[in-house]
Amino acid sequence: MFKHLLTLIWNKKKQNLLMIAEVLISFLVIFALSTLIVFYYLNYRKPLGLEYENVWVVSYSNPLKTENGDSLKLFYKDLLNTVEALPQVKKTGFCSNNIPFYQNTWSGSLKGNGKEINNVDNYWVDENYQDVLHVKLISGRWFTKDDVLAKQKPILINQKLEKELFGKQSALGKLVDEGNRKIIGVVEDVKAKGDYSTPKVSMYMKVDTGSWHFIQRLLVKVSPNADAAFEGRLYKTIAGMMKNSNLEIEHLVDKRKSINYFSLVPMIVSLIVAVFLIINVALGLFGVLWYNINKRRGEIGLRRAIGATGKSVSSQLVSESMILATLSLVIGTFFAIQFPLLDVFDLPKEVYLIALVLSILFIYLLVFICSLYPGKQAAAIYPAVALHEE
Amino acid sequence: MIRLQNIEKVYRTDTVETLALNSISLDIAKGEFLSIMGPSGCGKSTLLNIIGLLDIPTKGEIKIDEQKTDSLSDKQLANFRNKKLGFIFQSYHLINDLKVLDNVELPLLYRESSAKERKDLASEALGKVGLSNRVKHFPTQLSGGQKQRVAIARAIVGRPEIILADEPTGNLDSTMGNEVMDILLNLNKSDGTTIVMVTHDENMAKKTHRLVRLFDGSQVQ
Repeated sequence: MFKHLLTLIWNKKKQNLLMIAEVLISFLVIFALSTLIVFYYLNYRKPLGLEYENVWVVSYSNPLKTENGDSLKLFYKDLLNTVEALPQVKKTGFCSNNIPFYQNTWSGSLKGNGKEINNVDNYWVDENYQDVLHVKLISGRWFTKDDVLAKQKPILINQKLEKELFGKQSALGKLVDEGNRKIIGVVEDVKAKGDYSTPKVSMYMKVDTGSWHFIQRLLVKVSPNADAAFEGRLYKTIAGMMKNSNLEIEHLVDKRKSINYFSLVPMIVSLIVAVFLIINVALGLFGVLWYNINKRRGEIGLRRAIGATGKSVSSQLVSESMILATLSLVIGTFFAIQFPLLDVFDLPKEVYLIALVLSILFIYLLVFICSLYPGKQAAAIYPAVALHEE
Repeated sequence: MIRLQNIEKVYRTDTVETLALNSISLDIAKGEFLSIMGPSGCGKSTLLNIIGLLDIPTKGEIKIDEQKTDSLSDKQLANFRNKKLGFIFQSYHLINDLKVLDNVELPLLYRESSAKERKDLASEALGKVGLSNRVKHFPTQLSGGQKQRVAIARAIVGRPEIILADEPTGNLDSTMGNEVMDILLNLNKSDGTTIVMVTHDENMAKKTHRLVRLFDGSQVQ
């Protein structure tokens, strides 16, 4: 029977072209959407790499009319001590503007092991940064106060950068940037652009005298019961010390939510568009199958007359649809498989492969559901009536 | 072989009730070639459909080989039609997207048979109707007479005991009609196949063993 159906489909290839094209286009759209969803989902499952709860970010503009690093360092040290003296403050730390969950980025390149890696996120942080955000140290150590005396500037890199630069080797103690910097530690990858983002290659540099003039963020880890009243007190305390500065306090919890929306919105929009498309495709398939059945009433009547049961007529029509879907999927898979093969969009291969499997299953399910009812209707065709109509 | 007892068929719509067959009783013996005649709308095709188990009578009983057919399930009916009956229609009912050989093989797809067996039986049936040289043609490439011969080959491929032919020569000119009739007569004579044929053509009917005439759903001869 399978060979018979293949023959029938092949001999009606022109009539079937519309349905094959319809299923093919829907498969490609579903594949694109699945890729996006799988990519986000796999990212979502990865650890965030830091603890953001109860971390407030104080943004300020340079309060002193000077760029003298020593003066600034003394002023900020004083500020840090004042803030840390407040009852609900657990820890504070200074860092550059590209705080996790903020849209700001600061990137550069890093040379090492005969390679040059571009677009490396640069984070300028102090020795307290790890205690505030609990960035997980994989190997080595975090910055200490003594690092200012080191001959080579100490840096920490994330696991992804370690892998890109040194492969399976440890990066600890390695000199990079033509011997100007020394890797003192490796930290876990951080999803800096939210739960659905891919961690980027990153390196952490210690804030020094030359960098205080562009440091405009203070991270404050507070106790869980810190409320709006305390936030007001914190604001007043800092404002008292930074009279000429524009101050703003934000919570990392809110920033995380906000940046996640940025990832979710295109996905939700695509999903809505895809749902409409799927409904259209489903109705289209349903219509094509329904039309085919009405055109083939005589054939159905004949098949019933020569020995087909209602069930076998129904399964024949469902099987025909599934074979047509398979033809579309074979063509669609040929195109879809080019994405991992040609490494389009720089996504992991597993994302494409999972999306491919999901899309195939979805299309089969869609075609099966759409052909069930017309198949059932075909089974109910009364042979005597159908044969007479012809 | 076929026994019809008090067969009645009523078609009902919301407003109209039409009596298509009125108390038809008929015995058809094994090996008999019976023709049914009557004016259009008198119930000939309805009677043939009922004999072929394609339609259910409103009243009455049909027995084929002493077997009652009213209690058979859809699967049993399909099996019965597949093994015992062969159909020939005025409009041939060939599938235009299948080659002649594939069309003839169709009934064998619904029973246990290998591809080779199907091909052999279909070729043999096409040989009987003189179309061995047209196996790879599509129905649209054939003349009316050739199409009807393909339909006959399809009807006999499963070696049924009964052939039901609904105006098999209705769409053919007299030469082709005679050719088709000769094939049916030969099948009846050489293989002993029971044939029930609906026809409008008095000359064709005269060639059969017995003639049954219907008028307004009732048997008049």
